[in-house]
Amino acid sequence: MAATTVPENTTSHAGRPPRAAGGAVRTGRGRKVRHNLQAHGFLIGAVLCFLTFSWYPMVREFIMSFQEKRRGVTSWVGFRNIDRVYHDPYFWTAWKNTAEFTLYALVIGFVVPFAVAIILNELRHAQAYLRILVYLPVMLPPVAGVLLFKYFYNPDYGLFNHVLKTLHLPTSQWLDSSHTAMISVVVAATWMSMGSATLIYLAALQNIPGELYEAADLDGAGLWSKIWHVTIPQTRLVLSMMLLLQIVATMQEFTNVYLLTGGNGPENSTMTVVYMVYQYAFSYNNFGSAAALGLFLLLVLGAFSGVYARLSRNAD
Amino acid sequence: MAASFTPQNRTLISPASLNRPKGRLIYRIVLTAVIVVFTVVFLGPLYWMVTGGFKSASEVVANPPTYFPHHPKPGNYHTAWSELKIARLLFNTLYYAFGALAFQLVFDVAAAYAISKLRPVLGKLILGAMLATLMIPATVLIVPQYMTVLDLPVLHVNLIGTPWAIWLPTVANGFNIFLLKRFFDSIPEDLMHAAAIDGASPLRTLWSIVLPMSRPILGVVSIFAVVNVWKDFLWPMLVEPDPQKQPINIGIRSLSQGVPENVLIAALAISAVPTLLIFLLFQRNIMSGLTAGSLKG
Amino acid sequence: MSRIGYRRLVAVALVAGIGLTGAACSDNKKDDTGNKAATSAGSDAGTPLDPKTKVTISVDCEPPTTKAAERKQWLDDVAEFNKQYPNVTVKSKDAFPCEDPAKFTAMLQAGSETDSFYTYMTDLQQVLDAGQAADISAYVNDKTVPNLNDIDPGVLNVLKDGGKLYGLPTSNYQMGLIYNRKIFQEAGLDPNTPPTTWDQVRQDAKTIQDKLGSKGINGYMDNSAGNQGGWHLVSEMYGVGSKAVDDSGQKAAFNNDQTKGVLQTLHDMRWTDKSMPATPGLQWGDVQKAMGTGKIGMYVGAPDDVPLVVQQYKAKFEDIGMAPIPGGKTALFGGADYMFKKSATPDQIKAGIAWINFKFLTLEKGQFNYPRNKADGLPVGLPQPFFFTGASKAKDTETKTASATVPVDNFKTYVDAQVPVLPEPPNAQKIYTVLDTVMSGVLTNQNADVSKLLSTAETQVNSLLAASQ
Repeated sequence: MAATTVPENTTSHAGRPPRAAGGAVRTGRGRKVRHNLQAHGFLIGAVLCFLTFSWYPMVREFIMSFQEKRRGVTSWVGFRNIDRVYHDPYFWTAWKNTAEFTLYALVIGFVVPFAVAIILNELRHAQAYLRILVYLPVMLPPVAGVLLFKYFYNPDYGLFNHVLKTLHLPTSQWLDSSHTAMISVVVAATWMSMGSATLIYLAALQNIPGELYEAADLDGAGLWSKIWHVTIPQTRLVLSMMLLLQIVATMQEFTNVYLLTGGNGPENSTMTVVYMVYQYAFSYNNFGSAAALGLFLLLVLGAFSGVYARLSRNAD
Repeated sequence: MAASFTPQNRTLISPASLNRPKGRLIYRIVLTAVIVVFTVVFLGPLYWMVTGGFKSASEVVANPPTYFPHHPKPGNYHTAWSELKIARLLFNTLYYAFGALAFQLVFDVAAAYAISKLRPVLGKLILGAMLATLMIPATVLIVPQYMTVLDLPVLHVNLIGTPWAIWLPTVANGFNIFLLKRFFDSIPEDLMHAAAIDGASPLRTLWSIVLPMSRPILGVVSIFAVVNVWKDFLWPMLVEPDPQKQPINIGIRSLSQGVPENVLIAALAISAVPTLLIFLLFQRNIMSGLTAGSLKG
Repeated sequence: MSRIGYRRLVAVALVAGIGLTGAACSDNKKDDTGNKAATSAGSDAGTPLDPKTKVTISVDCEPPTTKAAERKQWLDDVAEFNKQYPNVTVKSKDAFPCEDPAKFTAMLQAGSETDSFYTYMTDLQQVLDAGQAADISAYVNDKTVPNLNDIDPGVLNVLKDGGKLYGLPTSNYQMGLIYNRKIFQEAGLDPNTPPTTWDQVRQDAKTIQDKLGSKGINGYMDNSAGNQGGWHLVSEMYGVGSKAVDDSGQKAAFNNDQTKGVLQTLHDMRWTDKSMPATPGLQWGDVQKAMGTGKIGMYVGAPDDVPLVVQQYKAKFEDIGMAPIPGGKTALFGGADYMFKKSATPDQIKAGIAWINFKFLTLEKGQFNYPRNKADGLPVGLPQPFFFTGASKAKDTETKTASATVPVDNFKTYVDAQVPVLPEPPNAQKIYTVLDTVMSGVLTNQNADVSKLLSTAETQVNSLLAASQ
């Protein structure tokens, strides 16, 4: 891709070089002010974007949770929005689904790419071919991948049930049963996105010094023992980074459930908290309640991130 | 840096055990199994998609499914291309993706450079506030963010339906700042001092010293930038309501409601072609860029 | 909508029914307020657009390229309209479907709708809440819309709030049962006596399933998501005499034996007879697609699905028939209209009204150009729209009959049944979203607890309605 050439092209018109620092004698303080101004000049673009599209919306999320808009008039309603979403009959369902989704995504979406990377790393042949294969789905437009899986999952004429039937295995309702809908979504999501994680793990594995394995061999360690005592500790940094990314990404799940099960899924079995936020805002036209629900999610994730930060600091 | 994939590296299994006849046999079996399984799992669906696009409306939903189209109908592809305006959707997607890339490279690189090398007052605080956004999934803020884009504070401009609604929010990406700042930190201070003594301005230093050394990380940020726009769904669905301006994800999903299954599958296949081509042509750069950069970060 | 307004609307619509004139409410007191608005809105608001006026308007819901015939007609109509108004530039935006409730909400919030924008008849309150609809009372009279006095006041009332008019109708429908006559025949059923009760629907669906299931054809299909499930459930409960909300418009009224009966039948069709596909429809277009490609025998829908099924999915219109809604107690009545953006200039509103009038409200032009519809292969003779009364209705029936391509028998039972109509509930889209879950429960869980699903939905609807008052 143009990955290596684009940066130069785009930065070249970012601005002409400012006049070189003037020759006149300056006080230390003046230079400092000037330096700071210059540095903040570099920062300003990003800071404005963060301010407008990230920091300000966070504050606004909080404010909106206590407001209501009717006929164009905004008024304060105290805890009414929070109360409303908390008493939504599906409030806990949405949390349970989000937790379940996160769990599946960790078991499947986290373990599978790591296992695949370990296997690929052992192979001395066809590695390039296999790496391309694993990464291929990442390059599909997500909608193409999702709709393709929806077609495969169809219980009546889909490929998956046909394969199961051919193998004389019991067929499944896949996306059309509350028992299997969530896991079907996770499988599809993993297929589409595991390529990136696999490549990152693969690179980490290649950086493990061979001597460590040799030493383990001398100690008579078995395969699992080597994975447990050498591979995992040596890739801990990457693993923990990916874990965090995976959880944050999972909590954002929207696209896959929206496209695969229409959002709610059979008996609300795939309704995630984020989908519920969307529903409150755009189906119920109630932005205040949507923000209140978002606030719950914000708090939970904030707590989670705090714990994570503390744990990783202790580990270091 | 660029991770080598040379098979000579010592890995989990020792070369000695691989060289034993039994080890060699097991290796062969595993290798064959992996190649077969991976081909089926990752290429199979694509095969199904391409051939599905050639099937007739009834064959595509036939039970049991057919493994290859009995009466290939290339007309489906023609219908998909001309009636669904896929070219337009693809162009929109690229326009959004590369625009977002340009803004991220300019603003995020400048910011990370300032924080890492120029270290202004409050720099640490700003960095902290930027990294804090990493902990909050973007979708949680979708509602207030949407309200913000409707009516930009101070300026009171409505960005809905303009490319800015997609481009600018992508700059507020804590992960980019994190990756870039970490990488810039690893550039030796001596180089910076030397440049400063030569009278080079900060911009000059960034341009001629820092950037040339940062190619791998710039590659990573670029790939992430493009892929993120490429993958995004909810946000563009909300901020680009005009079908003429929608990226491919949204366009195809609207179309899925109105066309027969076989034409839809043909459309999916077409939509996959450009990126798959780009990927196959540049796969070496992309993969080494991805792996090298993310390790560094 | 105000409570009184809603109650009156229900009453009016009940009287108005298919083929009735609904003259009862022409002496509506509200008309006075409308006239006052007319005088205050400017002296020339009521005059038709001056053809010399140079103005550009954007209009949505242009048929997409996939509906080739209707798109061509749209473009031809714009050209013909421009002969009369050469200085009006019509910028059309296509979309399919014309409205998706969630995107519609987003669009209203953004104020990004076109100058003349398509809405469902259920949307007025939402549009007013968002402050996006222009009051067009002053602009609409028998000079700007010559057939105005022949438009069923019951339909116009749906587009009024506090006596002010906010939209012009372009279509209306009443829900019924759409069925595939060819499949009926192949299954040994008489296509001229479609089922009229849920027991018969179940029986016929089972017959179709037993005879043709091996070919991948299912007896019946329904929706479970995307507000389509809820919309269908409300249509179906109306059919057996249940309402969705009580007369106050504030309390759910669907948790009753009639609705349970419908749901139980659907459940039995899905799980005992297996006469429904395993995957219910998830979005608008799914059931229509199944009908068009000959995969299902029946579904609940409106007559405007027929052109779609014919045009896009290549079904033969001789094969598509329609029966009244099973149960036949009341039929859900809905429709579509165009509203006008509040920020549009008076000239843009005038031009918009002129265009809507030309395309959708003028006999023998636009959508009522039956000879052209016939030539383009579109079905002619469908029992909709039916918002005209009096002389216009007679003229419309005459021209329609002259070009009819749809065999009269196909819609005979639907038209003859004369099921009284009932409009959609207030806050319809919210209720539909909630009821999606009920449909989803019944159609995807063999052990679904119908009573529990309904009582949970009741709680949720009550809470949402309370929040909308």
